[in-house]
Amino acid sequence: MQASGTKLALGIYTTLFLVFLYGPMVVLAILSFQTGPEGGPQFPIIEWSTYWYKHLFGLTPPTRIAPLPIEEALVRSLLLAVMTMIVSTVLGVTSAQAFRKKFTGSGFAFYLIVLGMMVPGVLVGLGMALVANALGVDRHWWGTTFVLHVVYTYPFAFLVMLAILNRFDQNVEEASWSLGVSPVKTFRKVTFPLIFPGVLSAMLFAFTLSYDEFSRTLFASGRDLTLPLAIYGTFSVEVHPNVFAFGVLTTLFSFALLGTYAALMMLSIRRARRVAIQEEA
Amino acid sequence: MAAVLQLSQVTKAYGALRALDGIDISLPDNAYISLLGPSGSGKTILLRVIAGFETPDSGSVLFKGERVEAVPPHRRNIGFVFQNFALFPHLSVAKNIAFGLENRELNPITDSTVVRARVKDIVALVGLTGLEDRGVTQISGGQRQRVALARTLITEPSLVLLDEPLGALDANLRTRMRAELRTIRERCGVTFLHVTGSETEALAMGDAVLVLDRGRIAQADDADTVYNQPRSASVARFLNCYNLFEGQLSNDEFVTSVGKFPLQGQKADARGQPAYAIRYDRISVRPLASPVTAEEVRLEGTFIADEYSGAAINSFFSLDDGRVIEVESHLSQAAPQTCVPHSRYALVWKRQNALVYA
Amino acid sequence: MAMTAATAEPVSADRPARKMADKTLWLLAPGVIWMVLFLVVPILMMVYVSFWTQTTFAITPTLTIKSWVTFFSSDTYLSALWTTIRIWLIVLAATLIIGYPAALFVGLFVRNKTLQTVLLVLCVIPFWTSFLIRVLAWRPMLGKEGAINLILQGVGLINKPIEVLLFSELSVIIGMTQIYCVFMVGPIAFMMGRIDQSVIEAAQDLGAGFWRIFRTIILPLSMPGVVVGAIFVSVMVLGEFATSAALSGRKVNLLGNIIVTQVGSLKWAFAAVAGVVLTILMGIVVAALLRVVDLRKEL
Repeated sequence: MQASGTKLALGIYTTLFLVFLYGPMVVLAILSFQTGPEGGPQFPIIEWSTYWYKHLFGLTPPTRIAPLPIEEALVRSLLLAVMTMIVSTVLGVTSAQAFRKKFTGSGFAFYLIVLGMMVPGVLVGLGMALVANALGVDRHWWGTTFVLHVVYTYPFAFLVMLAILNRFDQNVEEASWSLGVSPVKTFRKVTFPLIFPGVLSAMLFAFTLSYDEFSRTLFASGRDLTLPLAIYGTFSVEVHPNVFAFGVLTTLFSFALLGTYAALMMLSIRRARRVAIQEEA
Repeated sequence: MAAVLQLSQVTKAYGALRALDGIDISLPDNAYISLLGPSGSGKTILLRVIAGFETPDSGSVLFKGERVEAVPPHRRNIGFVFQNFALFPHLSVAKNIAFGLENRELNPITDSTVVRARVKDIVALVGLTGLEDRGVTQISGGQRQRVALARTLITEPSLVLLDEPLGALDANLRTRMRAELRTIRERCGVTFLHVTGSETEALAMGDAVLVLDRGRIAQADDADTVYNQPRSASVARFLNCYNLFEGQLSNDEFVTSVGKFPLQGQKADARGQPAYAIRYDRISVRPLASPVTAEEVRLEGTFIADEYSGAAINSFFSLDDGRVIEVESHLSQAAPQTCVPHSRYALVWKRQNALVYA
Repeated sequence: MAMTAATAEPVSADRPARKMADKTLWLLAPGVIWMVLFLVVPILMMVYVSFWTQTTFAITPTLTIKSWVTFFSSDTYLSALWTTIRIWLIVLAATLIIGYPAALFVGLFVRNKTLQTVLLVLCVIPFWTSFLIRVLAWRPMLGKEGAINLILQGVGLINKPIEVLLFSELSVIIGMTQIYCVFMVGPIAFMMGRIDQSVIEAAQDLGAGFWRIFRTIILPLSMPGVVVGAIFVSVMVLGEFATSAALSGRKVNLLGNIIVTQVGSLKWAFAAVAGVVLTILMGIVVAALLRVVDLRKEL
């Protein structure tokens, strides 16, 4: 597009848009360095301090402000995310593999899977709680919550894998078969290494979505809280800057995860490019 | 000669389309066979059925005397070279070549010194020495072709299927690879079934040529016979060196819309429309006034243009009904008639040179 | 040359063909079964339970439409339904109005592929922060002593803090708009990126001004992106309850909030009714949006 005046205006607008997207997080990060325990979650900053970060880890003398119940919740959330990641990636890869052949009812199966990411968490969560009640099954984060997380993340993994396999040259697999290599070994030695970047993306999707999942978790988990539930618990009570400090830390954790993903991705691309000289079996 | 592969009454349909319509072939051991067919004739599907990637709807496939329709591809020991080569992009040249040996289900070779020695031999055979550690994305098209071939040959298949193996190469390289493919095959002593849409390639490479037309084998002969005596009008058409006239046979004459062609007793039985075929290089161009002998056929046409192709000139004439006739004059023979555009000339050929299908 | 026809009795090959279909079935079965058991069954259960009898602390599987009658004769529930629809429409419009120009810039005006990717990644990065933290981050922004009031006072635009910014319907709308905007920007920018630049250049050569090009080329071609974005935003906003819980100070009750409070007081049948109403509402919205553009043709 030429119109440079329009372009400039839209450029400025987009900058403002990004400020709109990032503004609250920046403010939150600033306020997390509020002094404590008397400093509240608002401006002005009375004094810069890392008090609330220490408070998170229980490094401050006890006050009336209870520390966030995050330690166990964090472990649970991580475990849940890993379980969800593994199962939904496996399901995603296998179903996407099935969709490489045309079959009757493929449209139905496709929409059934994609429905999982479209139906709001409240509804599935409520439905699951009702089913559990009717069957007399206890609700646990590792049971009812876990299956719902997979319902949510598996469609993402499936779509990612579908996109990857659509671009995959089937001849490469057939070439391997014609060399006498069994389909199972072909998948291990040829297909999987080639779709690995996709699998990695699917895993990243599943992990982050599950780690942050909240509305499904709310109804489907029992007494033991996951991390998002712990944060949700602070909504109804007075918010202190320790929640903000926690927000900053989780964000950093997510970026670390993202960084790991990027590094792995880079590595797998470079490995593919640099060939397998030192990989001599 | 023992047959390495026998297909009988193989059919395969996709919905209403009969991609393979009763294929009967028998491939001899240790031979170079070309399979010529225009696009859509079913040639790739035929190869995929032989390799086991597709299952025939009916008919039998015998490989080395055994029925293999239900045998999965990896237990058939039939090599396949893809048009796009389908190399393993994540492996080096050497690893690509060693892949089958190391990973095959039956009798894999785990001793890396043996593998290395075998790779070295085959790399030398196909002329890739020095490139073993390159990635397959870092080599040229011709080299990729050789890797694809080496990767297949190292597993010592009894039959190698090549699906338009030269299609992805440029014209220069294609001619060179033709000779090399033949040499490599002779040294390995296996049967190559080479699928191509190019009649020159099919004729040049094959000890025998199979012509596939709409899911059926239209002709199976040696190259010379296919070229000189195409069994049907459609085979003649694929060869791209025959002028074809449709019409009717009646009392030693072939009646077409541009005139009646007297015959000399020749007639080949064939399915499909009756047709009269005369090869491009069997026609001579003469001034209108020149005399015609008793055994010659004469037709008049208006000269349009000609095309110089090194050893020959191809001239195009339009007949009275608008149809275009092609004449090929070899420059090694007498200097051809120089034609003036928009002028009329006599096109003359010997009766016995024409082929008649009715 | 042995080119004779081989003879062997023809064989029916349906056994291997069925084997291939089996493989597809086995690959597909786990996922489909999972979805049926843990997605379809719960939703059906919700519909079923909405017809159960609600007593003070329990539900019994005696079928009745009492809960439905209660729902549609209660001002609380009906107003929650209207609030949900109102907030959904406002947020949908807001994300479209705010997101479209940004998508236009990123998808069409930025020609440098790297810069385009960087901008898109910048839009997506906030998603790697917890959703709840992002919602919570609006509190210090919008509060009476929040950043916006401080800045506006500092500039001198106002001399008294605007109180309506936080714990109001406005704060819920602002929060949702910011959080869901990206789902509108992404699909639109994607469709914009697919517009052939030469078409626009040709129009410019013919003397068409920006607005004319926008109306006749860009807008129609970006419509599928708008619809996809609208589906994303609608589905998410309609199922919302956390943003209103965090930013409205219990003043805004969406259907989602109704479900949460009903479940909290063990009124399962009422919750189920609200859930079914929400499901129907969502089904209508998505079906209507899919009517506008045939997605399968566009993608």
